[in-house]
Amino acid sequence: MHESILAFRKRRYLWVALGVIGASFVAYWIHDPQEPPNGGTWLGYTLGVVGAGLIVWLTWFGVRKRRYASTAGTVQGWLSAHVYLGMALVVVSLLHSGFQYGWNVHTLALVLMLVVVISGAYGVFVYLKYPQRISENRGGVSNSELLMQLEDLDKRSVRAARDLPPEYAEFVDSGIRRTQLGATLWQRLRNDDQSRIVLPGGDPAGVTNAGQEAALDWLAEKQSTASDPDVAAKIGELSALLRNKRRLMKQLAVDLKLQASLEIWLFVHVPMTAALLVALFAHILVVFLYW
Amino acid sequence: MKYLIRFITQTAAGGVEQNDRIVDAPAITLGRATDQVLQLKDKRARLQHARIEAARDGATLTSNVRSGVTVNGRSQSEATLQVGDVIEIGENVIKVIAAPPDVAFAISFELSPDASSDHVVAEWSAPNDSVAGWSKRRIAWTLAAVVLLVALVLPGLSMLPGGVASVTRDSALLIDDGYWLAGPVHNAHSSIADQCEACHVDAFQRVPDEACASCHTVDVHVASSDATVLGTTRCASCHLEHNEPPELVNQHQGLCADCHNDLPDNVPLQPAADFLDAHPDFKLSLLLPSENDVGEIEWQTEHMRLADARTADRSNLKFDHSVHLVEDGIITPDGKRVVECAECHVAEPGGIGMLPVSMDEHCSGCHTLAFDPDDPSRTVPHGDSASVVQALVEYYSARLLGSDPDAVDQRVRRPGQRLTRADRDRAAAEAREQALIVAEDLFERRACVTCHEVSRNENDTDLPWSVVPVRLTQKFYPHASFSHAAHDTEVTSCDSCHSASSSESAHDVLIPDIATCRDCHGSAVARRNDSDQTASTCIMCHGFHFEAKGEHGVTPTMRP
Repeated sequence: MHESILAFRKRRYLWVALGVIGASFVAYWIHDPQEPPNGGTWLGYTLGVVGAGLIVWLTWFGVRKRRYASTAGTVQGWLSAHVYLGMALVVVSLLHSGFQYGWNVHTLALVLMLVVVISGAYGVFVYLKYPQRISENRGGVSNSELLMQLEDLDKRSVRAARDLPPEYAEFVDSGIRRTQLGATLWQRLRNDDQSRIVLPGGDPAGVTNAGQEAALDWLAEKQSTASDPDVAAKIGELSALLRNKRRLMKQLAVDLKLQASLEIWLFVHVPMTAALLVALFAHILVVFLYW
Repeated sequence: MKYLIRFITQTAAGGVEQNDRIVDAPAITLGRATDQVLQLKDKRARLQHARIEAARDGATLTSNVRSGVTVNGRSQSEATLQVGDVIEIGENVIKVIAAPPDVAFAISFELSPDASSDHVVAEWSAPNDSVAGWSKRRIAWTLAAVVLLVALVLPGLSMLPGGVASVTRDSALLIDDGYWLAGPVHNAHSSIADQCEACHVDAFQRVPDEACASCHTVDVHVASSDATVLGTTRCASCHLEHNEPPELVNQHQGLCADCHNDLPDNVPLQPAADFLDAHPDFKLSLLLPSENDVGEIEWQTEHMRLADARTADRSNLKFDHSVHLVEDGIITPDGKRVVECAECHVAEPGGIGMLPVSMDEHCSGCHTLAFDPDDPSRTVPHGDSASVVQALVEYYSARLLGSDPDAVDQRVRRPGQRLTRADRDRAAAEAREQALIVAEDLFERRACVTCHEVSRNENDTDLPWSVVPVRLTQKFYPHASFSHAAHDTEVTSCDSCHSASSSESAHDVLIPDIATCRDCHGSAVARRNDSDQTASTCIMCHGFHFEAKGEHGVTPTMRP
C-alpha cells in the first residue's frame, strides 16, 4: 500500500514540526528581552542554534538519500521529516531574526533560506500531484511506448510518401528530421513545439511546423488541386497520419512538461541550498567577528 | 544563390544511396537548430554552428563557435573552400564537391548512422540534467562562490590593514563591511557609522568599555565599573546598537525591576517592580525651616510621604490660590479679569520644570509696594525690612529737607538762608517719625503682612519689624524626570494634576500623588493596563546613572 510522504507513520514528523513551531512561538511570546527582539538575545541565540542545526540536518538529506546501505531510518521517513522540519525552519528563522531585516548578509541568508523552502514546497506539490497527472495524460501507456508510436507513425508516413512524387518523400523526411519537442528544460516547461519542415520549393531553412500545421496545410492544398483521385487519396492518407502525429505530439509535449516540472525545482532547491550554506557560514562568522 | 546538397546514406544492404537537393538560400547554414539549412543531429554541434556562403570568386566558411570548424584536419573559424575540402563538425563529415553548372556551390553530406530519421526523437526526449548547459552541481558551486565573494570576501577587504577600508567604504561600487551590519546605526553614532572598528576594536571580542570611553566621559555614568552594582556588565550590555527601532537607552522594566523588586535588607528602599501596582507611594523632598542656636532660620530638605505632607508646605508664605483663580476674575490694575496659571508659573526653557515665581515679576503688578497715596508711583523695595524703613526715611527726609525738587511741604525760608543745625535735626526726626508710621502701616496692615509672617519686636525701636524668611521648594521629586512640556496635551490642564483653584492655604502641597499619575500611566506590561493607560517603564521617570549620587555609580555597598 502506497503511503504519501506527508502521511508517513501517521504524520509523525508533522507533529514534531508543529511541536518545534509551537515551542518557538511560546518562547517568543514569553521572552521579554531588554532590547528589541533580535538574534542576540538568549532566545535569539537559541533559535539561531536550532535553525542552523536544522539547515545542516536538512542538507544532510542529500547525502542520506544516496547512502543506499544506510539503515538510519528509511529514505521515505527522512523525506517526510525533511519536508515538515523544513517548514518549521521558516518559523524558527523568522523568530530568530526578531523581524529585523536590512540589505545585509544576515537577511541574505534568510532570503536564500526562504527561496530554498519555497522551492521545496513546490517540489512537494509536484511530487504529490504530477505523477497522477502524468499517468492520466499517458492514458496507461509508458513514455517509451508513446515514442515508439511516434516512430511507427513516422515510418508509415515515409512508406505512404513513396507512392507519391519524390517531393513528398523529401517533404516527409524533412518533417521527421526537424521534429522537435523540448530539447531544453525551459522549452519543455513552456510546452514549446519547435518542429519545422522544409516545404518543397520553400525556404531551405524550413518553416515552423508546430502542431504539424504547416505540413497539414501544404497537404490540404495539394489534395484540393490534385487531379488524379488516386493521388488525392494517398495525400489524404498521409494527412491522416500527420493528424495522428499531431495528437501524439501534444500528448508527448504535456508529458515532457510535467516531467520537467518534476525536475526544474531541484535546479533552484539544490544550488540555493549550497548558496544558503555559505551565507549561513558568513552570517555566523560575521556576527562574532564584529561581536 | 543556389546550392546543391548531396545526402549520402549507407543502405542496409551495404550500398550507398545518394539524394541531391537544390536549395535556394543566401547561404548554407549548418547547426543543430531546426531552422538550419543543413540540420546536424549531433550534440557536439551548436545550434548555429557554421555558415557557407558562395560568392563569384569562391565560397567561404565562417563559424562563430570558439572551437571552430575542422577543415582538412585544421581547426579554423574562417576558410576559403575548394573542391575536395573536407569539413568536420562533430561526427558529421561534409565534403566540397564540384558544382554542376546551374548551382553556385555544392557539398555532399554523409548522414551519420545515429542521426538517421529513426533516432531523431532520442535527442529531445532524453531526460534533461542541465539548464542551458549548466548542471545542478555547477550552478551550486557557482552560486556558492558568488555568495562567498559578496557576503564574506569583498566586505572582509575592509578589515585589511593599510587603508583598504577607506577605499572600499568611499566607493559606491565596492561592497564594504557595511554589508555586515546587523541593523541600523543610531543617529547619535552617525559620525562613526561606517567605521566598524571604532567600537569593534578586536575581532571576535565584544565591544569593550574603553571603546565607549574614547568618546564618552564615563564618570558621568559609571565611575568605576568594578565598584558598582553593575559588576562585570559592560556599557554595551545595556546600550545596544544595531536594533530596530534604533534605541541606545535601555527602556526595559527589568533594567531596574530585576533588582528593585527584591532588594537586600541593608538597602533602605522600598521594593518597586511595576508602576501600576508595585511602586511605593511618592515621597516629597520638601524644604522645611528650622531655627538654629542663634535663632536664625535654616532650610533643610526632608523626605516625607505625600499623604503626611499634605498640610506641611512650610515656605512661610501666605498665599491663597483659590482667591486668585476665582472663575469671575479678580480686580487688577487692568480691570477685572480671570487670572491664568501660566501668568505666574512659567515653564523653564525646554519645558521640564517651572521657573521660580518672583514678587517683582508676578506679584507686584497688583500688589504694589506704594506707600504714599499722593504719590502712587513711589514704592519701597521688596527685600529686607531694613531697606524698607531706610527707603521711607530717605523719602520723608528729602521732602522735609528740600533736596527733592518735587517736595511740597519744604519749609519756607528766605532765599540764600541756610538751614540751621537745629532745623535739620528737627526735620530729620520728623521724617523718621513719619517713616515709622508709614512703615507700621505697610508691615502690619497693608503690604507685607498680606503674604508674609511679620513679627514685631518692641525692644528694637529702630526696626521693630522682621519678616519671616521664605523659601519655595523648587523640585519636589528630584529623582523623577518630569517634563511639563511632555504633559501639555489636548486633554490635560494644570487642574488635571494640581488642584489649585480649591486651595486656600500656602500650606497645601499641590503636587500630584501616584494615583494621579496612574490615571494615565500604567504597568510596563501593556496588557495589564486599562485602555486609557499608557505602558510605562521605570526609565520613563527615573534615570539609571545618577551623577555624583552614588546610586549606581560608586557605592560598593549597592551590590546585593
